[in-house]
Amino acid sequence: MSKIHFINEFDADRTFTYSERIALLRKRKVEQTEEKARCGGADEDDYGLIVQDEFDYKLKPSHPNGSIYGYRAWTDNYCSILRDHPIYVDALDAFSAKGFLFLERLRPKDKKWNPDYPYNELQAIFSKYQVISGIDNCHHFTPDLQIGLHIGWGGILKALESGKASHDESHSEFYDSEIEVVRSIIAFINRAGDEIEALACLEKNHQLSENLHQMARINHAISTEAPTTFRQAIAWSNWFSMLSRTYNRGSSGGQLEDLFNPFYERDVKAGLLSDDEAVFYLACMFLQDSRYWQLGGPDGDDNDKTCHLSYLALEAADKINIATNLTIRVHDKLDKSFFRKSVEYLFKNKQGWPRYSSDKALMEGFMRCGYSKDLARQRVAAGCHWMCIPGMEYTMNDTVKVNIAMVFQVAFDDMMDHEANPSSEILWDYFEKHLRIAVDATGDGIIHHLSYQTKTQPELILNLFQHGLIEKGVNITDGGANYYNMCVDAAGLAVAADSFAAVEQRIDIEHKITYAGLKAHLDANFEDKDGEYIRQMMLHSSRYGEGDSLGDKWAVRISRLWTADVRDQVARHADNPKHVNFIPGFFSWSNTILLGSILKATANGRKAGEPINHGANPNSGFRKDGAVTSLCNSIAAIQPGYGNTAPVQLEVDPQIANDPQGVDKMCAMILGIIESGNTLLNINIIDAKKILEANKDPFKYPDLVVRVTGFTAFFAMLSEKFRELVVDRVRSVNTDACE
Amino acid sequence: MNAYVTNIQRFSLNDGPGIRTTVFLQGCNLHCAWCHNPETLSARPVLMHYPSKCIGCGKCLEVCPNKAHKLAADGTHIIDRSLCTSCGACAASCYASALVMSSSPCSPSDVMKDVIQDKLYYDLSGGGVTVSGGEAALHPQFVIELARLCHEQGIKIACETSMSVPFARMEEMLRSMDLIMCDMKLADSPTHKRYTGTDNQMIFNNIGRTSKLGRPMIVRTPLIPGVTDSLDNLRSIASYISKMDNILYYELLNFNPLGSAKRIAMDAPDSFADAKSLSKDQLEAIREGLSDIDIAIRIS
Repeated sequence: MSKIHFINEFDADRTFTYSERIALLRKRKVEQTEEKARCGGADEDDYGLIVQDEFDYKLKPSHPNGSIYGYRAWTDNYCSILRDHPIYVDALDAFSAKGFLFLERLRPKDKKWNPDYPYNELQAIFSKYQVISGIDNCHHFTPDLQIGLHIGWGGILKALESGKASHDESHSEFYDSEIEVVRSIIAFINRAGDEIEALACLEKNHQLSENLHQMARINHAISTEAPTTFRQAIAWSNWFSMLSRTYNRGSSGGQLEDLFNPFYERDVKAGLLSDDEAVFYLACMFLQDSRYWQLGGPDGDDNDKTCHLSYLALEAADKINIATNLTIRVHDKLDKSFFRKSVEYLFKNKQGWPRYSSDKALMEGFMRCGYSKDLARQRVAAGCHWMCIPGMEYTMNDTVKVNIAMVFQVAFDDMMDHEANPSSEILWDYFEKHLRIAVDATGDGIIHHLSYQTKTQPELILNLFQHGLIEKGVNITDGGANYYNMCVDAAGLAVAADSFAAVEQRIDIEHKITYAGLKAHLDANFEDKDGEYIRQMMLHSSRYGEGDSLGDKWAVRISRLWTADVRDQVARHADNPKHVNFIPGFFSWSNTILLGSILKATANGRKAGEPINHGANPNSGFRKDGAVTSLCNSIAAIQPGYGNTAPVQLEVDPQIANDPQGVDKMCAMILGIIESGNTLLNINIIDAKKILEANKDPFKYPDLVVRVTGFTAFFAMLSEKFRELVVDRVRSVNTDACE
Repeated sequence: MNAYVTNIQRFSLNDGPGIRTTVFLQGCNLHCAWCHNPETLSARPVLMHYPSKCIGCGKCLEVCPNKAHKLAADGTHIIDRSLCTSCGACAASCYASALVMSSSPCSPSDVMKDVIQDKLYYDLSGGGVTVSGGEAALHPQFVIELARLCHEQGIKIACETSMSVPFARMEEMLRSMDLIMCDMKLADSPTHKRYTGTDNQMIFNNIGRTSKLGRPMIVRTPLIPGVTDSLDNLRSIASYISKMDNILYYELLNFNPLGSAKRIAMDAPDSFADAKSLSKDQLEAIREGLSDIDIAIRIS
C-alpha cells in the first residue's frame, strides 16, 4: 500500500527547481496509479484519491438497515472521520490536501435512499424502461468557491452562527449540523498544520523542510481566515475539494481565471510570485484532484476572459500531464493564440485534455429556458458533460438517464402483441406512448428526490457555497438553491435510431424480412437459423452518423420527441414551489455497459447484453470512412437546445500530428464542430496500436490517459469492459490500424 | 455522366490543404507495382474478398449466376476469378461485407450530396474536394461537372493525377481545378516503364505544359523503398520542377503499406508486401539531401 508521508527522501543539500519537483511528483503519481490499478482500479474520475492502509473508517449506522440518514447521522460520521483522518504529506508538493475515502460510499450500496420515503410505483416504471432516476444521488451541482476565498471557513462559521440567531428552532437541525461540520473542518486543517510542522522539523533536506514549514503556516492561516496569496488561495481550494470529496464525492473547480487571477496579479505586482512558481502551484492543484476547470470564455461584456494565468494553467497541465479536466470555452473573441496553444497540447501529450465547449450553443440554449444572457454566461463547465452556475443552481447533473433503447424494445414488443399489420410508423406511435410514460415517471422521480433528499443525505459541504442558502437556513433541496434546473439525459439514441432505420429500410421498404420474422430472430438473440445473416443485414442498414441517412432522420425525430417530453415536465410540475425547470440532454456517462447488459437483442443488429452507444455518438461502424465530420454533423442535428449538452466524443488518429498543417486542421475542425451547433467536444488523440497494446497489458503504459466519457482517466485504472469501450470507439474511426 | 466511384472519403487530411473530401475514381492507365489503391487499377469494379468477415451463410453460392463461388471440403471459401464477371450479385447479398465491389456508379450530383455536408469545414480550414483515383483524368467530363457543382457552392476543388493522359484530353479538366496535384514517380524513363507499365515522357511534358496554365501545383513522389526513394531520383525531379514558377511545394509521400490488405482481398500478387515505411532518420536524410535545391519540400 502507498505511504502517506514522503520526507527525507533526498540529501540535505540537494536543491530542486520547480520543474524538477513537478517531474518527481508526476513520477510518484504514476506509481500510485499503478498501485491503485493493481488494487482493482475504478471506472471513474481519478479524484486524486490515495490508496493507503493506515485509516479505515467504520460507518456508524443510524438505521437498523445499516445505513445513515438525515442531518445528525451524516454530521456525526463526517466529524468522526475528520477527527481521525491522517494527513497526507509530500515534502515535494506545495499542498497536502489528499483524501482517502468518500463517506457516501461507506453506506450499504442498496440502502442509500431513506426507506421511510418509498416510491414503489415509480420504481416499477423505472425498472420497465431502465430509467436511472437519480433518486438518492448527491452533489452534481457546482459550489461557488468565491464564497470561501472571500470569507474563509471562519467567515462561513460566523454566517452560520448569525443565521442560527435569526431563525427559530425549525432551522436548528440545519444550523447545528453545519456549525458542527465547519468547526470540525477548522480543527482538521489546524491539525494538518500541526502535523506538517512536526514533519518539517524532521525533514533533513533544507529546501523541502522550508517548504513544509511554509505549508504548515499556510494551513494554520487558512483554517479560519480567508486566503490572501495565490498559494493560500489554491491551498484553500484544495482543502475544500478534499473535504467535500470525503463527505460525498462532490467537488468542483470553476472558472479558473475568475477564482485565482486576482490573487495571481496581486502577488506578481507585490513581487511575491514568479511565473515558474505559479505554474508549480497550479500543477500541484491538478495533481491534487481531477476536478473540472474552465478556461477562457466571455465575460459579461462579451470580452474574452483569457489572461496570462490561462496560459500558465495550460503550461502547468502540460508539465504534470496526468488526468486533467480542462475545458476551453470557445467563443468569437477567444484569444486565438491561446486556442492554438491548447490544441498544440492536445497533440503533444495525447492525454485527452483539454476539451472544448461552445459558448454560443450553451448560452442561447439556456436563455431559451427563460434565463438572462448574464446568467447563461455564468454556467461553467464543471462535470463530465455538464455546466452549472456556481453557487446558484441545484441540477442533479449526470444522475438521471432514460434508456431510450429500452423504450424502443418495450414499444416494439407491445406493437407485436397488439398490431396485425405493424409498420415503422405504427412502431413510432408505440414509441411515443412509452417514452411519455418513462419521461413522466422520471419527472415525478425528480420531484420525489427534491422532496425527501434532505431526509436521506443533506449536502452539508456544498450547502456552504450557495448564494443565500446560509441565510435561508435550509438544505439545497429544500429551497436553498436559487434555481432548480434538473438535468434529464437520454441514453441509447443511436441504438433506437438505427433500429427504427433498419426496420423501415429492411421491412417497410425492401421487404427483406417480416416483422414477425425479425421478432423471432430478436427473441432468439440472432442465434437461430439464418440469425447471423439477418443480424448482419440489420447491422448494415442505414445508420445514424452516416450523414443525411434514414438513421439520421430517425435520430432527429427521436430527439425532437425527447426534448418535447422533457420540456413538458415544466408544465406538469408548475405548481411546485421550487419552480422546477427540466432540461433535456443526451449522455450515457459510463452507463453504456450497465444499460446494455439487460437489454435484449435490438433491431439494429446489436446482440443481447452488448453495450449501448456512447452518449450522443453513433454506433461503431456508422460510416465506412469513419469520418468525424459526419459524426459531428449528426450530433449537431440532434442537440435538444436548452443549454445542456449532447457531447461529441471524438477519437482522432495521431497521424494528423505528422501533417505540417495538423494543428491548423485540428483548430479548424474544432471551430467547425462548435460552429455547426454542437455544445461540447471531448477529444482523444490516440495511437490505435498503442491502445491495443495497452488493452492487452494495461501496465505497459501506466501513464496513458484517455478521455473515457466526459472524464479523463488513467487507462490502466479502467476495468476490462471499460477499456474495451474506449478501444471500440478508436476502432470505429481507425479501422485500418486496428485490422 | 456517371463514373465508378470506389470511395468518398470525408475528413480527408492527406490529399491537399485543409480538411477535404476525397473522391476516388475507378480506373487507371498506370499500373504502379506498389499502388496502395490497387482496386482502382481496373476500369471496371473489382470483387474484393475479406475471408475474416465471412459468416459462412452461403448466400453468395446461391446468387452467383456463374458459379464462381465454391466451398472447399475444409469450408474455405474459394472464388474462381476466371468465372467472375464482377456482376456484383454476391456482394449485394453479403451483408457481412466479406464480399464487396470496389466501386459503384455515381453521378457528380450524387457525389455532391456527400461533399456539401462538410462545407463548413472546408471554409474554416482552406480545404475542399480532391478528385483522386485511379486516374482522375480518365474521367474528364465527370470531374469538370463536379468542379462546376463545387464552384456553384463556393467549394474549392483539386485533382490528383499521374499526368499520363494526352494533354488535350485533360486540359479543360485541369483548367477547371483550383489546385493540381500531380505525381512524378521516377525520373529515369526505363525504370518508370518497368514499375508503372509506361515511360515518363508524356508525364514530364504534361507537367511542363500544366505549369503554364496558371494553376497552383503540388508535385508529389511516393517514397517506395528501393524504387523511388534514391536521392538521385528525387534530386532529378526536384531540380526539374524547381524551374517552374507555380509549384507550391514538392511533396514526398512516405510509403503506405495499406495496399497489401487490398491486394490480398483481390487475390492479386504483392511484390511490396514486406516493404516498410521510411524511418524518421531516412526522411530527414532525404530532406537534407534536397536542401540545396530551390524548392519547398514537404514530407507527409
